[in-house]
Amino acid sequence: MSWVTVLWSMIASACLTLALVHGLVWWRHREAWANILFALTAVATSLLAAGEVWMMWAETPEQFGMALRWTHIPAWALIVSLVGFVRLYLRAGRQWLAWTVCGLRTLSLILNFLTGANLNYREVAALQRIPFLGESVSVGEGMSNPWMLVGQLSLVLLVMFAADAAFTVWRRGDRRQALVVGGGIVFCVLMGTGQAILVFWGIISAPITASLFYMGIVAAMGFELSHDMLRAAELSEELRESERRMDLAASAAELGLWVWDMERDEIWTTDKGHELFGLAKTEPLNFARIVERLHPDDREPTRVAVATALENGGNYRNEYRLLSGAASVRWIAAQGRVEFAADRRPLRMRGVSIDITARRLAEQEVQERRAELTHLSRVAMLGELSGSLAHELNQPLTAILSNAQAAQRFLARPQINRAELEEILSDIVDADQHAGEVIRSLRLLLKKGEVQRQQLDANEVVQEVLNLVRSDLLNHRVAAETELAPDLPTVRGDRVQLQQVMLNLVMNACDAMAGSDVAGRRLCVSTNWIADEGVRVSVRDHGLGIPTELLERVFEPFFTTKPQGLGLGLAVCRSILLAHDGELSAENHPSGGAVFRFTLPTELHAGT
Amino acid sequence: MSLQPPTVFLVDDEALVRKAVERLLRAEGFEVAAFASPAEFLAAHDPAEPGCLVLDMAMPGINGLELQETLSARGSALPIIFLTGRADVPMCVQAMKRGAADFLTKPLKDTDLFAAIRRALEHDRNARQTRAEREDIRARVASLTPRERDVLKQVVTGQLNKQIAFNLGTVEKTIKVHRGRVMEKMRVTSVAELVRLVERCGLGFQFDTEK
Repeated sequence: MSWVTVLWSMIASACLTLALVHGLVWWRHREAWANILFALTAVATSLLAAGEVWMMWAETPEQFGMALRWTHIPAWALIVSLVGFVRLYLRAGRQWLAWTVCGLRTLSLILNFLTGANLNYREVAALQRIPFLGESVSVGEGMSNPWMLVGQLSLVLLVMFAADAAFTVWRRGDRRQALVVGGGIVFCVLMGTGQAILVFWGIISAPITASLFYMGIVAAMGFELSHDMLRAAELSEELRESERRMDLAASAAELGLWVWDMERDEIWTTDKGHELFGLAKTEPLNFARIVERLHPDDREPTRVAVATALENGGNYRNEYRLLSGAASVRWIAAQGRVEFAADRRPLRMRGVSIDITARRLAEQEVQERRAELTHLSRVAMLGELSGSLAHELNQPLTAILSNAQAAQRFLARPQINRAELEEILSDIVDADQHAGEVIRSLRLLLKKGEVQRQQLDANEVVQEVLNLVRSDLLNHRVAAETELAPDLPTVRGDRVQLQQVMLNLVMNACDAMAGSDVAGRRLCVSTNWIADEGVRVSVRDHGLGIPTELLERVFEPFFTTKPQGLGLGLAVCRSILLAHDGELSAENHPSGGAVFRFTLPTELHAGT
Repeated sequence: MSLQPPTVFLVDDEALVRKAVERLLRAEGFEVAAFASPAEFLAAHDPAEPGCLVLDMAMPGINGLELQETLSARGSALPIIFLTGRADVPMCVQAMKRGAADFLTKPLKDTDLFAAIRRALEHDRNARQTRAEREDIRARVASLTPRERDVLKQVVTGQLNKQIAFNLGTVEKTIKVHRGRVMEKMRVTSVAELVRLVERCGLGFQFDTEK
C-alpha cells in the first residue's frame, strides 16, 4: 500500500469520525450549531481529501480537470462552514467580511463550472508524473484560468476574517481559543493557499495537498470543542458539588428548599422540606396538598400571597401556621420567587421555608410581658387616683341618696306632687348613669383586656379622661383648659391604652404644678390636625418645666422624680404610642412649663 | 330683731348634687337658696339675712375654705357646715379652727344634715339675738348725757348716791335726778336689773374708753 493512500484515507476517516461524533452531539442538542458546522467542515475536508487522491491518480488530463472541478464543491462547503463556525463559535469576525468570503467563494464555484476546464485551468494540456512520497502521482500542466484569482481572493479574505476574529477573541481574553482556532485557521489557510498559488500558477510542480492543511484546522477546532465538552463535564461535577454544599448549608440552617413547577403543579422539596411539613419523603406534593397542611385561618391568606406574588413581579413572602398532630402550633416562614416564561406565563417558583416557631413564641412572650407591664402601670396609676375616683363616684351617690330621701318625704305628705316626684326620679336616673360611666371606664382601665384597635375620636378620649380626673384636678386645685379642634379625622387605636397615655400625662402635669401658686396651676389640653403627621394631642402644664438634659431621659424606664413613682409611666406611654405608629415627645414651653405631645397617624395618610 | 325666716344657703358646683340637696332641704321645710359657685353666693349675700351656709369643700376656682376666709374677713358670722367627698383631716382641722359649725361627708345622711342645720340655725339665731340686744343696750347707753353716763358707771359699781355726789363734786339731790333719768333711759326699774344689763353686754370697758 502506498503512503498517499494510507495518509489520505487516515485524513478522510479521522474527519468522518469527528464529523459523526459532533453530528450526533447536534442531533441531541439542536442548539449546538457550532458542532454541526464543525461536522460539515470535517465532512468537507474528507471529501476534499478524496478529490485530491482522485487528482493524483488521474490518468488523462481530462480526468484530472474533472477531478479538480468536482473537488471545488467540498472546498466551497469547507470554507462556508468554516466562516459559519468562526461566527458562531468564536462569536467574532466582521459580518461583511463573512458575507464577502462566502459570496466570492460561491462566485468562484459558479466560475469553476462555467469557465475553462475548472476554476484553476483554462485547459489541462498534459499530465506530468512526478514522484511523491515514494510513489508516482499525476500533476496537471496547462494554461492557468485567470478567474482563479476570485477563489484566491476569497481565501485571502478568509485569512483576514479569521485573523480579525482571532484578534477580537484575544482582546476579549480568551487567548488560547484565539491562538488555537483563529491562529490555526489563519496558518493552515495561508499554507494551503500558498501551495495552491505556487502549483496553479505553474511555479512549482506538486500535487495539491490542501486537505492536509485543512486537517490541521479540523484538528484545532476538534480540540477546542472537546475542550468545551471536558469543561462541561467538569462544570457538571462542580455543580453537583455546589449542590451538595448548598444542601449541607440548607439543612444546617434548617431551611427547606423547594421548587414548585406551576405548570404541572408539582412540588419538589428537600428532605428538610418534607420534614417541616411533616410529610413522608416519598410523598408526591402539589399546592393543594401543602395548603391542606395549613391552619384553616392561614389557607386563604396563603392563596392571596401566591396570587400577589404572581401579580407583582414574583416575590413571595408568607408566614403561616401548620396543623401538627399535637396541640402545639408550628409557625413557618416562606420566601420565594416566581420565574416567568417570555410570555409572562409563570413557570415555577423557587423558595425556602423555615420553622420560626421559637421566634414566634418569643415574640408572643415579649408581647404578653409588654401587655402585662402596660396593665400594671395602668393599675398603679389608678391606685394613685383611687381617692379622687371614690369622690367621683360619691357625687352621684350623694345626689341619688338625697333625691331618694327627699322623695320619701314628699310621699309622706298628704298631697303628692307627681311632677316633683317625676323630676326626682329622672335626676336619680341621670346620677346613676353618671356613676355607671365612671365605673365602666374604671373597669375598662383595670381590665387586662386584649388590645382592640378601633376608629377613635381623639377629642372624645381627651374628654373622657378629663371627666375621670375631674376630682383629682379639684384636689390639686388645677384648672383644666381645653382647646379641641373640631372635625378631627379619626385615629385608629386602642381606647383604653390611649386613655392611659392621656391619664398619665394629665397626672404628671398635676404633679408638676403641685408646688406652684394656686392661681397658676393651669393645665392646657389641645388637639389639632397636622398635615403629614396626623392628630396631635398636647398636654401643657405651668410648672417649672423639665431640665433640658432630662427631656429624653424622662421616657427611660425606672426614671422618676417622684418619691413613690416606679418610673414606668412615660416609658409605657411611649411604647403604647410606638405600637400605634405614633410618637410621644416632651419639651419645655417658651413661656414656662412642660408640654408633652403625642401624634397618632390618621386613616387619611395611613395608606400613603 | 329680724322677723324673716332663716335661709339655708347651699353652695355646690355639681348641679345634680346641688339640686338633690336643695330638694331634700325643702322637703324638710327649710327655706333654701342654692348657688353654683362661691362667687355667685358672695355676689348675692346679705349679712343681715339670718341662716346658715352649707358649703361644698372642693370646687373649682374659690374653694370652700377660701370662701370661709372671705366671709370672716367681711365680718360675716354666718355658721358654715362643710360638705366633703373625702375625710381630709388637715382640711377638716383648718375649717374647724376657723370656726366651722360642722363637717359632713358625702353621701349625706339626711338626719345628720338636718340636725347640723338646725344646730347652726339655732346658733345663728342666738348670736343674732345677742347681737341685737347688745345693739339695743348700746343705743340706750348712747342716749345718755355724759353726766348720766358717769352716774351710771358709779351706780353699777355699787356706790351710794352720797358717795357718787361726793365723787362728782355735787349734791346728792342732783345725783338722784340723774339716776332717775338713767333708770328711765335704760328702761330698768331696779339697780340689779341695770347691773345685769351692763354686764351682759360687757359695756364696762366701753365706759372707760368713752370717758
